[in-house]
Amino acid sequence: MMNKKQNQTFLQVMEIERFALHDGPGIRSVVFLQGCPLRCPWCANPESQPLCPQLMHGGKSCTLCGSCAAACPEQAITLSDSAFHIDRGRCRRCGACVNACPNRALHFSSTTQSIDEILQVVSRDDAYYQESGGGVTISGGEAFCQFPGLLTLVQALKDKGYHLCMETSGQAPLARVQEIFPYIDLFLFDMKHRDSEKLREIAHGDLATIQANLEYICAQDPSRVILRVPVIPGFNDDPALLRRIADLAVSLGISEIHYLPFHTLGKSKYEQLEMSYAYSSQKMLTRQELLPYEEYAKARGLTSHIGG
Amino acid sequence: MTKSIVEGSQNVEVSIKLPPEKSPQEQLAIMEEYTQVHQDSLPLSRERRELNCLKVIYPRLFRSMKEQDLFAGRLDFLPIGFGCVTSLGGVGHYCVFNKLRDMKEQFNTPEEKARIDALYEYWTAHDLKALYCQKILTPDTTGRFIDCRHPFMATARLSGMMLHYDWLCEYGIDGLKEKIRTQLSLRPDNEYLQASLEALELFQTVVDELNARTARAQETASDSRRKELSLICSSLSLIRSQPPQTFHQAIQLIWLYALLAGCINYGRMDDILGPYLVRDLESGLITRQDAHDYLKSLWNLIENRRTTVNGRIIVGGYGRKHPAEADEFARLAIEVTKECRYVEPQFTLRFTKDTPQDIIDMALDSLGQGATYPTLYNDEVNVPAVMHAMRLDREAAEQYVPFGCGEFVIQGQSVGTPNTLLNLLKLLTITLNEGIDPFDGRHKAGPVKIPPADSFATFDELYDKYKELLDYYFDLSADAQYYSYEAMNQEVSFLFTSLLMDDCIQRGKALLDGGVRYLGGTNETYGNINTSDSLYAIKTLVYDQKAYRLSELVGAAAHNFVGFEQVRRQLLACDKYGNDLDAVDSLANDLFLYVANGIRERGIQKGMQYYLVVISNNQTNTEWGRQTAASLDGRLSGLYMNPANNPQGGADKSGPTAVLNSLRRFEAKYHGGSVQNIKFTPNMFNQNREKIKALFRTYFKNGGCHLMVTVVDRGVLEDAQKHPENYPNLIVRVSGFSAVFVNLERDVQDELLSRVLYDE
Repeated sequence: MMNKKQNQTFLQVMEIERFALHDGPGIRSVVFLQGCPLRCPWCANPESQPLCPQLMHGGKSCTLCGSCAAACPEQAITLSDSAFHIDRGRCRRCGACVNACPNRALHFSSTTQSIDEILQVVSRDDAYYQESGGGVTISGGEAFCQFPGLLTLVQALKDKGYHLCMETSGQAPLARVQEIFPYIDLFLFDMKHRDSEKLREIAHGDLATIQANLEYICAQDPSRVILRVPVIPGFNDDPALLRRIADLAVSLGISEIHYLPFHTLGKSKYEQLEMSYAYSSQKMLTRQELLPYEEYAKARGLTSHIGG
Repeated sequence: MTKSIVEGSQNVEVSIKLPPEKSPQEQLAIMEEYTQVHQDSLPLSRERRELNCLKVIYPRLFRSMKEQDLFAGRLDFLPIGFGCVTSLGGVGHYCVFNKLRDMKEQFNTPEEKARIDALYEYWTAHDLKALYCQKILTPDTTGRFIDCRHPFMATARLSGMMLHYDWLCEYGIDGLKEKIRTQLSLRPDNEYLQASLEALELFQTVVDELNARTARAQETASDSRRKELSLICSSLSLIRSQPPQTFHQAIQLIWLYALLAGCINYGRMDDILGPYLVRDLESGLITRQDAHDYLKSLWNLIENRRTTVNGRIIVGGYGRKHPAEADEFARLAIEVTKECRYVEPQFTLRFTKDTPQDIIDMALDSLGQGATYPTLYNDEVNVPAVMHAMRLDREAAEQYVPFGCGEFVIQGQSVGTPNTLLNLLKLLTITLNEGIDPFDGRHKAGPVKIPPADSFATFDELYDKYKELLDYYFDLSADAQYYSYEAMNQEVSFLFTSLLMDDCIQRGKALLDGGVRYLGGTNETYGNINTSDSLYAIKTLVYDQKAYRLSELVGAAAHNFVGFEQVRRQLLACDKYGNDLDAVDSLANDLFLYVANGIRERGIQKGMQYYLVVISNNQTNTEWGRQTAASLDGRLSGLYMNPANNPQGGADKSGPTAVLNSLRRFEAKYHGGSVQNIKFTPNMFNQNREKIKALFRTYFKNGGCHLMVTVVDRGVLEDAQKHPENYPNLIVRVSGFSAVFVNLERDVQDELLSRVLYDE
């Protein structure tokens, strides 16, 4: 009965990345789920934000041949001399354009996969997880968006005995966090800011919710949390603020903190989505620039690490 | 004899050879004398003829030492002479015709040019390989190695011989002579034993000559150099007759013997040299720095032979008599390899569950610095696999050693030269086109009748027809391999090689005359994965989805997919091997088993101890790809084929765990070596070392037999294509061998670039 139910549970999966090295201990597979309530302008995976799959257009391989526009039953695609354009309001995600493209320039950001299909992929690397002390990491988007499918997935994974990590922004109802908690061995929990207004204004996040979720987990078992701080110029790249975040970790009994230097590797995805990117002229942060934060964290007795 | 049989390149030659030291006039005179002696000796036995000819070139072709040399022995070879392998001239009494013809450029007078022509003329009727080719080659099925128009190539050579250097060190030259005399006393008329005895006398003549030259060099040398030369003289004086007593003497003896034997692979030096090393260090005779310098000099001498895919030195593994001392040697050797960054020796680590962790770590450090060495061989898989594949007991199987582009031989006990090569993909394109090779429109199916593509009602009917064509070529292959031994045996005895191989002296027979204990062989197969991916795409699109008729796909390929981009897109979108996907990987494995068993069974029927496929790779995948039509995996006409049993470059999209899972599916007990490549950026490899170690451990624990690791930064290879002058020392793993990247041809470079590079 249980198996049958699992078979019928589907998730919107962007990618299952195998041999992931920076998303928890050991060698891991990371299941990236579509959808996120936040709108961080630096987001490296903007296609993950909406709940439904996004049509991505790879500029370089497109020859503007028009096959896609001809195939689209909604006339959502227009082509000018130098550019492809899709009216996303009209797109019904039927996939006709993807199939018609001779250059493989179009694809959707995610596919619908059953839990069994996901289990089948991650199980291929069981031996590597065992040898390295690794496992499976659930990531997003914000994986909580796909509740309750997410819960069924982590239950199924835990049934198989996997060490489970979850990367989360913490932007989710507390009840869902409480339901998920027993199955997750390690949360890689983002803390982006300490100022509610700023977080709401810039990233559409609610600090009170995030804080409550973090406190709940830490009250149960702070060793199940690594705090992660994406360091973003102009947003939180401020020594006083970052010291406060490290202090928070200490006060909640968290022992490990990771600083993730801002990068622009997601830039081309904005182009593929015809979105504007607020950071196109911003330089990437170097490891060197984050050293003072790491030093402070270490001085506070935290295990600290730059990069994932 | 036609020019196409004797001319053209005959081996993979990437490293640039040092030109001979002697003047063109002297070279010509030596080649004339060699030819005259050969002609005069025609009425004599092959043993006597070989010996007489060897006396023409030894010691004369020894060139002078270099200032950095700590051992005597640098040997030139000419376009005419005696050898075992094509990378140093040729096999038996050989003539490298294109190089001989090129020599004419160096002469001005018509008389001199005419003398070259006369030599050319003589050797067309006497070059061993030409004689072999004349008998074996056909216009459309069997081609000369390397003539890529054919689906099958064959050659005569004696590659990969690794000798009983342990005997050499245990008995010394006089001891070996004594052994031969004992046998001779039982068989006084045995021409082979008599010639072997005289071969050792020739060895001593060479030692004496080098000793005299080294002594003369001392007169003008600086103080420090004089000391080194004096050491060389004393070592030469001793090893002339006696077993070596020191590390230096042992290296000197082995090195000279390998030169005279024409052997370009050295084998398990750790077990032979380790005890000398440890004893000399313990007694204080040498310092660790001395030992390091000796080894570096040996590495330099090996590199300077420039044999491209050879120069194997193997350390570690089961079956060593002195494991502790051998491990000491292994540590030193890894250190020297990392420092030298040479293309040769092809430095190889065999490991077991008991290999000391520090040796594994040193090996990974060396790889992490981009040395491409050591290549890694897993004894836990390979020893049992060799037992089955070669039908040996464990003790013999423990002496397996890889050589060339990844094929195995049993050191001191077997011949395993890869004299045959099959292009599986070309044969599939022929099957799909009624027996006609779409690349040049010629019929190449021999007697196999192949109907039009659409007459195959099921996938199995097509697959069975393809197998029928394979069977025909397997027969050609086993015959050609076996005949290569007969052809070589008719002409030569390989005296020096035979002497240190089980059981030539005991039996009083030369290597290929019934002397060698295990007569084996290997058949290189190419395009393995393109073929299975093509079959899988056909199965999917034609027979499962019924999206196309087979003739439509074949027609699109005939146009190299121009105007059929949509078809190609669908072919490319079909699942590909290398992504850990059961259906497509199973088909690859099924094809592998068919080919491996087909070759192996025919070898056994022929009376060989073993005859195995080797899924090796050098650059033949690229060269043969140039003359192979577009294939239904989506590969374009003329493009390189996949390397060894790795995916076509870029087809593996699921990361290193997935590709390793696919790689290990081919069970090692059915092949005689299979090359598996993986490529990382330094950042990925060095910053995540513990996880990389876990990755490798898992792969090896679960049946991975072997791994070749390249660590190179993203963009470096691309930049080296644009600015080769900036990268004279950039070493890359081609597959079965390493090479300086900028020495490779452009499309071979492209093939390397196409392979997935794992980065963070």
